[in-house]
Amino acid sequence: MNKSISKANNRSYDVVVIGAGNGGLVAAARVAMKGAKIILLEQHNLPGGFASSSVRGRFEFETSLHELYDYSTPKNKGGIRILFEDRLNIDAEFVPVPEAYRLIVTNPDEEIDAVLPFGIEEFIEAVEKEVPGSKESIRKFFQLGKEIDQATTYIGKMRGNPDQDVLLREHTNFLRTAAYPVDDVQNALNIPKKARAILNAYWLYLGVPTSRVNTTVFAAMVYGYILKGAYIPKMRSHEYTSAIEAKIREYNGVVEYNTKVEKILVKEGQVIGIQTNKGEIINTKHVICNASQTLTYNNLIHPKSEVPEIAFKEINARTHGITTIVVYMGLDTTAENLGLKDYSYFICDTMDTDQLYDSLINLETPKVQASLCLNNAIPGCSPPGTCIISITSAFRPSAWDKVKPQEYFNLKTRIAEGLIENFEKATGVQIRDHIEEIEVATPQTFSRFTGTYNGVIYGYELESWDSVVPRLQNMNEEKHIKGLEFCGGFGKRGHGYSSSLKDGETAALFTIQSLIKEGIIE
Amino acid sequence: MSQKKEKNLDITIKSTSRDLLAFMKLSANRKKRFEKASNEPIKSDPMNELATSLHPIRQYLVIESIKDETKTTKTFKLTPNKELGTDELAYFRPGQYLSLKVNVNGVEITRPYSIASSPSDVLKGFYELTIRKEENGFLTTYIWDQWKVGTKIESSGPEGFFYFDRLRDSKQIVGIAGGSGITPFRSIAKAIIEGEIDAKMTLLYGSSEEEDIIYYDEFKALEKQFPEKLKIVYILSCEVVSLEGCEQGFITADIIRKYCDVKNSSFFLCGPQIMYNFVEKELMEFNLPARRIRREAFGEVRDVLDLPGFPQEIAEKSFKMIVHMGEQTKEIPALATESLIIAMERAKLAPPSKCRSGECGFCRSLLISGNVYINPISDWRRAADKKFGYIHPCSSYPLSDLEIKVPRKLRN
Repeated sequence: MNKSISKANNRSYDVVVIGAGNGGLVAAARVAMKGAKIILLEQHNLPGGFASSSVRGRFEFETSLHELYDYSTPKNKGGIRILFEDRLNIDAEFVPVPEAYRLIVTNPDEEIDAVLPFGIEEFIEAVEKEVPGSKESIRKFFQLGKEIDQATTYIGKMRGNPDQDVLLREHTNFLRTAAYPVDDVQNALNIPKKARAILNAYWLYLGVPTSRVNTTVFAAMVYGYILKGAYIPKMRSHEYTSAIEAKIREYNGVVEYNTKVEKILVKEGQVIGIQTNKGEIINTKHVICNASQTLTYNNLIHPKSEVPEIAFKEINARTHGITTIVVYMGLDTTAENLGLKDYSYFICDTMDTDQLYDSLINLETPKVQASLCLNNAIPGCSPPGTCIISITSAFRPSAWDKVKPQEYFNLKTRIAEGLIENFEKATGVQIRDHIEEIEVATPQTFSRFTGTYNGVIYGYELESWDSVVPRLQNMNEEKHIKGLEFCGGFGKRGHGYSSSLKDGETAALFTIQSLIKEGIIE
Repeated sequence: MSQKKEKNLDITIKSTSRDLLAFMKLSANRKKRFEKASNEPIKSDPMNELATSLHPIRQYLVIESIKDETKTTKTFKLTPNKELGTDELAYFRPGQYLSLKVNVNGVEITRPYSIASSPSDVLKGFYELTIRKEENGFLTTYIWDQWKVGTKIESSGPEGFFYFDRLRDSKQIVGIAGGSGITPFRSIAKAIIEGEIDAKMTLLYGSSEEEDIIYYDEFKALEKQFPEKLKIVYILSCEVVSLEGCEQGFITADIIRKYCDVKNSSFFLCGPQIMYNFVEKELMEFNLPARRIRREAFGEVRDVLDLPGFPQEIAEKSFKMIVHMGEQTKEIPALATESLIIAMERAKLAPPSKCRSGECGFCRSLLISGNVYINPISDWRRAADKKFGYIHPCSSYPLSDLEIKVPRKLRN
């Protein structure tokens, strides 16, 4: 019998991984590859969490990924390519995204319609064309991005304990900006308003307005995307998540779907096991948890008395990030026939990100969207003569709190209709008459399939006070239960595919260290 | 970027010392913020509540009344079984189905049945399912024997994609129904009349005999009352037709042309495989874009031997199948002409399943070894599932001895 199909009634594991999202999958694979006995439990019947796909008719839609960050070329591998190819050695193919984005701002006072290329010099030139005289200030912003990247690489190398003198001497611009939001830094750099609008289109990937989002995180993200480009999986995210799952099984890890962990059993501050929705108890001293701190401390830890007060305070001090609505469409005509040349479209009413963010609390069609034409990155992703377009927009999670079941279907259709209209108006391309398949995912949908708290998909907001810098600095102090490691979008690296994947690896490394200390593995 | 310029970068936000101090104090200030925050646990999760309400894993129902529709069909009115924890029924989109879970003399199986009542009836506390008794039908024979007023029924939440979507479909619906395939159109018709769906519908409803027509009186009354919204044409394949408003024969291109605004309509098909084969051929004449034709996909394939590419020479064979499901492993027989899901149900493994036509992916399983035949018209697998050896057992048939890993049941 195939060894990988060992059974769930082995009631004792070295490590239990809760949730097969990006973080959980990587964590499970890395620990399994070290020879530890692991089980990965997932409540849904698919791997991936948000990193998935869905089939409607003759189309297969990408669930949530727009652009994978930090993958880069085979010659100059990014962190995620290194993880996938060299560490996990998984069988999944990625293709580059053709351009950074097309930004369309529709408000006549701000009017912008510009296609921004990858490549820092190319990008700067493209902005200069739109906003003459902006070149030097934009260049400085990218230089800051580079310095932040170097500083975080150095801190990583020093395992979170950098030499303060080295930081002060060699990474001063990183230090001086780490406590400030993007607006403060861009003001200091004198970047013209319109150039900022163009430069800040990626704000939606962090979901916090530029008046509040932390500079370290934002500048590093913009620099990384523009320098290294972005990639997407050829067969949708379900390809690489399935590939990681196959790797876990290859190393004798057990993966059980339709299995929801209801309790993490804790005794005197130490993890002792978990209990599933089928009542079974699995003994373990190590849990790697892909669920958020919000869900874990509020619902999973058992008994409740084992949750220290500070854990609740840490959650309540933060703001849960945004959630999304996605309209997936299979069209019965090609992108070429429609005249859509680009892959990624940021379309908004204004680039006043405060105004946009504030409006996301309203239960109406949001004035901002990030839309994709998948065929312009993956030409064969749908049958000949067709194409796939998806429109993503955001909501503050509480916007949907009072929606009644009987209102739900009409509500999501109405919002989707508005998003389609806005896309058509901004691009001048008519898609409505070509819709062969349409599906609309909402916060409810994301809650249903992943169990994420209140449908939130972005983790805690990355303001300066709680950016990845202080999170990483304090990550050891903020472990409240022995044997419990977190991984995923609510974690120390913030949200996003790449952050979650890397966070899974970090959680695995901590767990592996403990297992070595305990003499369980070598 | 030139080296010179890089060295020159010197950002000051407030002042050099204040900027550095702000960095130095990040952790301490953060700690203060944490300490000041509330220590109250979070108790509510509204999206989880909405998701549970719209998509319950299981609904416990009880039969409130049974109505004889025809000699072979009955309509079951189902209400929530509060004793078992179902307080409210899940809302749905007209055209969706429920997957019933029934224990037939120790064999646990599932079957999809379209909801025949209106979504607004959910708010009144009931669903209706109309079920036709099949000759020698494994489940329906049991239902006719056993289901009485008061019988407890277990069901999934509402499922399926066979519904009107105003962003995609024309406001002129042509429903083409065969036999008991009429049931979802009752729900759609009610929703149209109640204003829940802004469209009008022409129904072309094929039956073999007059006495097989379901909802005849009910639809006649609706049609009379709302002629601008609903039009029904009965097409009977028997030789003599005496009922008012009936056509004799089959749902041909001529019939479709006679009653429908073909170019401006969305066609919704629901019926047996044989009807799809016939009607789809007839529709080809109109050269409609794919988006104008939607087909309900539920139900087992009756005769796998007729499917394209099925190897006839193994028709009589039985194979061995090793099934891993959670903590159990079992070796069971699998007939070449029966889907893997049926083989597992026969062996009392009760694997998860819903649509039973390859579409929903709920039974998605890992094929560890062996080969299967997959019905090409029911292969809705994800591309990567094909690559990594995942199959949908409800539309897969054994071609050799097999070993598969099936997901566990969602609930015991």
